[in-house]
Amino acid sequence: MTPEAIPTAHDCGLIGCTSCGRVWPQGTARCARCGAPLSPVDSAGLQKVWAWLIAGIIFYIPANLYPMLRTSTITGSQENTILGGVVELVAHHNYGVAAIVFLASIMIPLAKFLAISYLALAVGHENRAGGHRHLWLYEVVEFIGRWSMIDVFVVAILSALVQLGFVASIHPGPAAVSFALSVAFTMLSAQSFDPRLIWRGPTVNKEPQ
Amino acid sequence: MTNSPEPAKLVKTTAPNPIWTRLSVIWLVPLLALAITLGVAWKSYSDRGVLIEIDFADATGIRPGETTLKFREVDVGHVETVGFSENLSNVRLGVRVNKDVAPFVDADALFWLVRPEVTTQGISRLDTVLSGTFIEGFWDAEPGAPQSRFTGLARAPLAPDPSKGTWIELRADDAGGLVEGAPVLFRGLTVGQLQNLRLAENDSGVIVDAFIRTPHDQRLTSSTRFWDTSGISVSLGAAGVSLNVRSLATLVQGGVEFNTFTSGGTLVESGHRFRLFSNAETARESIFGDGMSDPVRFSLLFDEAVRGLEQGTRVQFRGVEAGEVVDISIRVETDTLGTKYARQQVVIALSPERMGLARDTDPDIVAEFLANEVENGLRARTAAVGLLGTTLVIELTDLDNVPHAIMKLDAEPYPTIPVGPAAQNDLAASAEGVFTRINNLPIEELLASAIRTLDSISAVAESEDTRAVPGELAGVLEEIRTLVNDLNAKDAGEKTVVALDRVTSAADTVMTEIEGLGDTLVSVDKAAAAAADMPLGDIGRNIDGILGDLRAMLGSEDADQLPRALSDTLTEAAALLAELREGGAAENLNSALGAAEGAADAIAAASERLPEVTRRLEALIAQADTLVASYGERSSFNAEVLNTMRELRRATAAFGALARTIERNPRAFILGR
Repeated sequence: MTPEAIPTAHDCGLIGCTSCGRVWPQGTARCARCGAPLSPVDSAGLQKVWAWLIAGIIFYIPANLYPMLRTSTITGSQENTILGGVVELVAHHNYGVAAIVFLASIMIPLAKFLAISYLALAVGHENRAGGHRHLWLYEVVEFIGRWSMIDVFVVAILSALVQLGFVASIHPGPAAVSFALSVAFTMLSAQSFDPRLIWRGPTVNKEPQ
Repeated sequence: MTNSPEPAKLVKTTAPNPIWTRLSVIWLVPLLALAITLGVAWKSYSDRGVLIEIDFADATGIRPGETTLKFREVDVGHVETVGFSENLSNVRLGVRVNKDVAPFVDADALFWLVRPEVTTQGISRLDTVLSGTFIEGFWDAEPGAPQSRFTGLARAPLAPDPSKGTWIELRADDAGGLVEGAPVLFRGLTVGQLQNLRLAENDSGVIVDAFIRTPHDQRLTSSTRFWDTSGISVSLGAAGVSLNVRSLATLVQGGVEFNTFTSGGTLVESGHRFRLFSNAETARESIFGDGMSDPVRFSLLFDEAVRGLEQGTRVQFRGVEAGEVVDISIRVETDTLGTKYARQQVVIALSPERMGLARDTDPDIVAEFLANEVENGLRARTAAVGLLGTTLVIELTDLDNVPHAIMKLDAEPYPTIPVGPAAQNDLAASAEGVFTRINNLPIEELLASAIRTLDSISAVAESEDTRAVPGELAGVLEEIRTLVNDLNAKDAGEKTVVALDRVTSAADTVMTEIEGLGDTLVSVDKAAAAAADMPLGDIGRNIDGILGDLRAMLGSEDADQLPRALSDTLTEAAALLAELREGGAAENLNSALGAAEGAADAIAAASERLPEVTRRLEALIAQADTLVASYGERSSFNAEVLNTMRELRRATAAFGALARTIERNPRAFILGR
């Protein structure tokens, strides 16, 4: 069965409610069943995705350059960036923890940037091709998004717990804030993405009906 | 078909919305994010601080990124890189200094590594055991020209902040027990420390810097004196043994104490030079204490060995103590013929003040002054002072009759003052005079005179006249006897009977007046008897003995040595005998006897007139009494003659022994044994 074989709501001049799923004729402003506003499916929504994504990427740069943790112990203070921490963990043969940190703090955010970028580009150009794979990718990105904050949580918990005066204390570095912002913007970006676009195809080729 | 052109089809296109109308407001978010990030980046870049490079000998405990640079114990930077200098001789640390302090890190900035240190004064910077080494820096509050290359100090400076005390320089003859970091004490309280112990130029001693902390540096004046309190001092005095240990620190690493014994000094600036004395007494008594740490030095070259000079021997300038001996050594020199000879080189230190010059006169000026004096006859010489002349001093004094000499101003190591002959001690001179006089005594002549005298005596004893004395005496006594007999027998006839009858009758009347006449007659009788009893035989024997001794003596070999004396003596003896003959005893005796004879005749002639007779008889008897008494009574003459003879014999024997002794050992007469 080809994608063309299945008529979409867009093809039928309908618009679906993102909240309850009921379709209404195009031009309807509000879902009469659940009361949610109905937003037309157009690529203007992609601007939000790109804007949030770019903001997230921008904040991701200082998040990696600045130290994430500032550890003060009796023997001195130490500052670790995300990547530096991973390298140090590897040097201490904590490969498991190093892998987790590497995945959560570097791999996943980067993967999200790539995934969202790919989706946003794809919906503008591909004609429903791979619609199912795109939807699956979108759902994975949405699901993982909340776990990206794990780094920030670790920093927040450590900073709160390890306050032993002059013996040892941990403070969040400037990278923590950047990283949190970056993750937040990425999540916003993912949320701004309208999955209905996956099925609608490129707008430029379509004549409004 | 109509020819009318159909109107062109209306091509209706919707004008595309301008791009800005389609842009969502959401694009402000990434713009904002970009702005924030760029702002943060720019801020961190602009706040990054200044990179400086510090060279250290090693980088013990330095970790890039972690080791901090501290100023007054506050982090003001951190080490970014650790590398090497161009020739690998040093470690070069790249240090990022905070922007706010960077302007103050100028040429006078000091950097040193702070590590835990264990010294005799305690353990310091123990905190760095845990926190790790860090770099301490010090710079003043005056911004200066920026500098990016520094050389780190090998050790922490005693006092990086010069405003917190006073740096002074101590000069000593030797380091003794001093160690870097040793304390400086004031009345036993540590008020500073020593640093930078080093040799002085031209090896004249050692120099050490001392830092006296505020406010104790206010106690330093130009008349302050420093002394070494290193080690233990033990002194034995009337109060027993006293052991003096200042503190454990000074015992282990030495120390320096100071005090101001005299007033009138001015406050000193940093860099003032002080002399370091070996102990408190010398510091108190020293004449170099008045702010002069480096006295002017001169050397003296003595040809002869000068014993008794030592370091500290006083030097007097025209009688005023003006310095002391600081060094004694031997100097080998080569004369014009190429022969090497050794001279004693004595280095003296002089205080210009004591010579009437200004306190801090330049050494060249002092040397010039002395050179002038030397032209006028000033010389250095050794002199013994003290009661027994046991203490040597060096005198700089004007000498007469010295050969012309000049100071060698360019001599090494110090200008040379010409020396004069050593001065004689007064007592020594007197003693020498005594010995000289004894030496000059005419002992030979004295002996010759004594010999001549004794020769004369022997000649007298030996002469014919002397031998005749006993004979004449016998003659005299014989005459006295005949006189008495005459007195008894003469005119015993009728004249006398008649006279005696008259005398008797007259005597009856007169007898009462002249009661002593009977006694007188009795005395005369006694005198005659005594004269008859005189032991002339003994006298003769004694004289014979003496003569025998004399003969023996003269016949001995001693006599051979005295022929000249003997002949002199004989001539003198002849003269003496002539004298004796002229006015001698025999003549007198003869005249006395003649007088007695005359008197007896007079008595006889005047016997008719009793009063006259009695008067003359009285006189005669008195005369005879004295005469006989002197010869007979108490036998004094006899005893005298005997004694004289005995003495003569003893003298002769002694002389004989003396003559033999001299012959055996001529030196004995001078040496006494």
